[in-house]
Amino acid sequence: MNFVHLHLLLNHVPTVGTIVALGLLLLAFAKKSDDLTRGSFALFFAIALVSLPTYMTGYSAEAVVKERPGVNLELINEHQSSALLALVFMEATGVVAWFGLWQARKPTGRSRWAAPSVLLLSVITIALMANVATIGGEITHPEIVSQGQPSASIGALAPAALRSAAIRYYQFHHPNAWPTLEALHFIGLSLLFGVVLVGNLRILGFMRTAPYVDIHRLLPWGVWGFVINSVTGMLFFVGQAFQYIDNPAFHLKVLFMLLAGANVLYLTMFDDVWALGTGDQAPLSAKLVAASQIFLWVGVIYFGRMLPYIGGAF
Amino acid sequence: MESFFEWLQGLSIANWIATDESIWSFPTILFLHSVGMGLTAGVMFMICLRLVGVGRPLPVSSMRVLFTIFWVGFVLNAITGSLLFAAHATITGNQPIYYAKLSLIAVGVVLAFPLQHFVQGDASDGRIPVRVKGMAAAALAVWVGVITTGRFIAYLQ
Repeated sequence: MNFVHLHLLLNHVPTVGTIVALGLLLLAFAKKSDDLTRGSFALFFAIALVSLPTYMTGYSAEAVVKERPGVNLELINEHQSSALLALVFMEATGVVAWFGLWQARKPTGRSRWAAPSVLLLSVITIALMANVATIGGEITHPEIVSQGQPSASIGALAPAALRSAAIRYYQFHHPNAWPTLEALHFIGLSLLFGVVLVGNLRILGFMRTAPYVDIHRLLPWGVWGFVINSVTGMLFFVGQAFQYIDNPAFHLKVLFMLLAGANVLYLTMFDDVWALGTGDQAPLSAKLVAASQIFLWVGVIYFGRMLPYIGGAF
Repeated sequence: MESFFEWLQGLSIANWIATDESIWSFPTILFLHSVGMGLTAGVMFMICLRLVGVGRPLPVSSMRVLFTIFWVGFVLNAITGSLLFAAHATITGNQPIYYAKLSLIAVGVVLAFPLQHFVQGDASDGRIPVRVKGMAAAALAVWVGVITTGRFIAYLQ
């Protein structure tokens, strides 16, 4: 299996997956069930994480497919920019769903805006994903193109500003654009790593005079760090995809990031850490998860730093 | 000054860092410098955010252990930073932004002492004085500045 197979496999997650998660959310509304709502939020969060490699493996597929005779390059560009637009809405859905999960833990009770916001964002995401999938399918399946006319999207759903070429132009048109993105990426790293340290050190048995309820209040700052780094990281990737897609350090960085990202749900919603009061020791299982979190994020930093040396990125 | 930079860059360890092609020289020191940044700036962000009023129920006294991490990260970065500087002393030593970074680090360290004194004192779980809040806000800005200037050094050579 190569990264092209992976793209064809993963692309079902943000398309079919969002429809399943939306169905779960609607069922939660009908049943007035907080548990089902939280389940659908967790699912949206997981889909948002998997959507990142779904988008990125698209560049591996492009590298293979565009060499073949009869492939419409314009269709690939349309697929790519409409995919980035859909990805933006998918990630926004995932972040708002995470905030819904986090707020459900607040003593003041769950927020009233989270579920309607996720509903609205996910409906938009599904429409955009359907558009991406329609264009993507036509790249290698000329038999489904009706009357020789590709059903390329209306321009607004595949904005030219989201094409790799446009973003690459911006990155080098201004001499400080790339270093500024790098500085933001390292500020986001420090913010995220600070929250990872504080949250997991508490579980490991340091800072024990703090109940976990109080640590939980700091988690959104880690998510802000993650958002800053997803945005700046994706801008690096979209502009310079071909220095990353065949870079083994990048593959490992993304793998570590996905594992660590999924781990964030443990800190957000699991009862065995939530129950830790002042002075309490966490169970061994929680300590193992906490230690793995710190290890995984250090791994993300390691492979990020090694991008130019193990692979050939700058 | 120029002769000092040349002497520094001529040291065998500096020469090894600058010219060795393996990932165990320059890349590994750069990685350790990034981890040190995550430790130093990361825990300082948490302490200062709490002091300016974020995450309010968290007892400030519970954050005492974080200063140990801050200083461990600081020492790690003083060492790795000196090695990275030595490798390219004649280039980096002539960059004004490098001295901006060093000045900001100096301000950050000067601010760390009274902040540590407050967090480790008996009154840390009481009302936070405006003076401490102001220093915490300044420290947040200073460490953001250290990261930014540090990142720009790599591109201005």
